[in-house]
Amino acid sequence: MLLAGVLASVEHGLNRVLRMDSTALPRLAALEGKVIAIDCVQPALRVYILPDEDGLMLAGHWEGDVHCTLRAPASHLARLALARDKTAVLHAPQVQLHGDSAALLDLVGVLQNLELDWEYELSRWLGPVATSLLAGHLRLRARWTREGLARFSQNLSEYLAEESRTLVGKREAEAAFSELDALKVDIERLEARIRRLSQSLDASDNA
Amino acid sequence: MNDQRKGDHAEPTTHFGYSDVPESQKARKVAEVFHSVAAKYDLMNDVLSGGMHRLWKRFTIELSGVRSGNRVLDIAGGTGDLAAKFSRLVGPTGQVVLADINESMLKVGRDRLLDRGVAGNIEFVQADAEKLPFPDNHFDCVTIAFGLRNVTHKDAAISSMLRVLKPGGRLLVLEFSKPTNKLMSRAYDAYSFAFMPLAGKLITNDSESYRYLAESIRMHPDQETLKSMMVEAGFDRVTYHNMTSGIVAVHRGIKP
Repeated sequence: MLLAGVLASVEHGLNRVLRMDSTALPRLAALEGKVIAIDCVQPALRVYILPDEDGLMLAGHWEGDVHCTLRAPASHLARLALARDKTAVLHAPQVQLHGDSAALLDLVGVLQNLELDWEYELSRWLGPVATSLLAGHLRLRARWTREGLARFSQNLSEYLAEESRTLVGKREAEAAFSELDALKVDIERLEARIRRLSQSLDASDNA
Repeated sequence: MNDQRKGDHAEPTTHFGYSDVPESQKARKVAEVFHSVAAKYDLMNDVLSGGMHRLWKRFTIELSGVRSGNRVLDIAGGTGDLAAKFSRLVGPTGQVVLADINESMLKVGRDRLLDRGVAGNIEFVQADAEKLPFPDNHFDCVTIAFGLRNVTHKDAAISSMLRVLKPGGRLLVLEFSKPTNKLMSRAYDAYSFAFMPLAGKLITNDSESYRYLAESIRMHPDQETLKSMMVEAGFDRVTYHNMTSGIVAVHRGIKP
């Protein structure tokens, strides 16, 4: 019952999030009738996902047909959810996939490419004026935070490279590598020259 | 099982909660109870079960094995919790029939489902579980959730459900049952006879209906008795799952 309660709550929250993307539910409708089993090995947990035009239904037990079963440890499942290149994760030896893998990949694709219209959802609670003000403020803060982090990162790297000399700067390192490359080529040329000279000396001695 | 017959000429009686009433009156009395509580049925279910009824129904659906294109009958469907979920599962090629003997409950259920956009593959039928107005071998799955204890002749209802199921079809009976834990049983008794009528009085201004609810639960067959009733009716592979320490049990039987 505890798992059923957790799954019911997750399902409710997930479906609310899915409704914030106008394209997610029509894409899930294409998967209607499919049953995907996620079998987590560590910790042992099996969850069934049933997509349809109203969202996702999660079940801890299912007696009907299962179209696709994914069996993997929790760490690999998390990696599958987050990774861009899902095929690489699916080919890992700890991951077992049975049945219609296209259904699983389509489902993951829908969940990964969500574009949530959170302003619309917020406006239902706060009204359009308050939402517009709040959204503008949040966007400004987000931009400020993003720019602040970028500036901090730049300043830190400059300090470490230029002022404290703890690290070597990228351009300085590139110049040093390029000098090393040139030196390497010069040495190789010199070696070739010495080899040629020694060969010609050997030839004149024999004559 | 609990029906009593007095003499050759007197009308047979049956239980209505803890009291005995003539069989012909039970359906009317049950109808009065549900007519009284229909408007606030969902709210009361949430209050009295602490939302647990949703989880019990979820598990019933998980056991149903219903898939796209199936035909499902939800008897005593009330406000349509199970029917709404089944409607999603069977899809546009399937069919769900929500049946209830009580007109008030059926109206509330129909309005609620239509308001939620559940339509197209669902029908509403006022029907008596003992005499289901459907052809033989018609449904892939039949469910009755918290309804069997209100039926006058439970054996007749179970036989009727068997008749309308296709061979291989499943019957799921979700119903209050007997707690498996003594401590839980005592706490549950105190809760049922003290809190439930009080909550009924406060929310629906009707404590009697909720006193009947508590009494009818005690008069309902326990897990093993209901299982044997289903076996006697002709169901195969009858099993049951206790939920919340046996306060509720879901019985499942397959039509051979």
